[in-house]
Amino acid sequence: MVVYSFYIFDRHAECIYKKRWLPRPAVIGKSRANSELPAPTNGLPAAIGQSDRTTDDDAKLIFGTVFSLRNMVRKLGGEDDSFVSYCTSQYQLHYYETPTNIKFVMLTDLKSPSMRVALQQIYINLFVEYVVKNPLSPTEHPGGIGVNNELFEESLEQFVVCLPPRL
Amino acid sequence: MTVFSLIIINKAGGLVYQREFQPGLRKLSTNDYLVLAGTFHGVHAITRSITPKIPLSTTTTTTSQSHHQHQPSTSSILTTHKSTPSVSTATATTPSTPTGPSTSSSTSTTHALPIPGTPVTGLEVLESDKFRLTCFQTLTGTKFLLFTDPLMTTVEPVIRKIYELYADFVMKNPFYQLEMPVRCEAFDRHLGGWLRGRV
Repeated sequence: MVVYSFYIFDRHAECIYKKRWLPRPAVIGKSRANSELPAPTNGLPAAIGQSDRTTDDDAKLIFGTVFSLRNMVRKLGGEDDSFVSYCTSQYQLHYYETPTNIKFVMLTDLKSPSMRVALQQIYINLFVEYVVKNPLSPTEHPGGIGVNNELFEESLEQFVVCLPPRL
Repeated sequence: MTVFSLIIINKAGGLVYQREFQPGLRKLSTNDYLVLAGTFHGVHAITRSITPKIPLSTTTTTTSQSHHQHQPSTSSILTTHKSTPSVSTATATTPSTPTGPSTSSSTSTTHALPIPGTPVTGLEVLESDKFRLTCFQTLTGTKFLLFTDPLMTTVEPVIRKIYELYADFVMKNPFYQLEMPVRCEAFDRHLGGWLRGRV
């Protein structure tokens, strides 16, 4: 099971926390021993052709997706229905919304089981404990400073690393 | 097994067919269904574009014996590739190990998909507490949205059969105008009959 990224959005649609775990980069052209001419295909063309979205833009796109789908689900299934997850051919997105409209989103690979309980645990055991109960952390996050909390970040890291045996 | 309803969206995001088979979902107005179809069409495209990309480092390693007459050529090759950090490491390591081979690598990152073999698609299955939405996109871009019970596991054959019926009774209907709302009585009849037969 691989977790690609994790986002928290507050009730004002502000992304207050984002974290990406990228798997170890796969190395292709391994070594070219004693070659007179190194392959000229490295570096520049790929770097120019790649129009990389920043993580900020990704967070906005993810929020938009999740928000639209949540509204769609509520419209069709009634107010007490809740959007749980979706999957494409490449990845899975898991969603959990607290009663206070804080949204937890996690992108994982297709092999992972339902992460609903895991997201709930992140909320109850980590977010509430380390962020909400912290008297120094702001309740609102205008300007996108977000959750800047070492304890939370460390325990989240540990939680995600320990996920496979737990589920 | 319970099939709640079926929605067909054309390649431009317009609603062309909507039908409820069994109660379970809330009824929306025609306008709401149109909005839903358009929204889904947009979200479908976004879900495809936010596919996580795994960085793929293409490492080209050039190993050369570090004789002093070779070094200018190596550094000139490296400077043409504009990888200044590796130039500095090469010059830093060469004096310390004068006889060993000096390895200098220039790394460029491209991206790979999480599952490299399969093409990237948008949203395929959406799950909520009360229903499961399965989206099947045909090669021409038409989307079939089937709302089923979340416990129902085999949706794929149902959606294939619906596509087959659509091909037979809608696309082969000489009076059907492409991309326009589907009003084919034979399609309605066969669809209803087939789904009833499965229950």
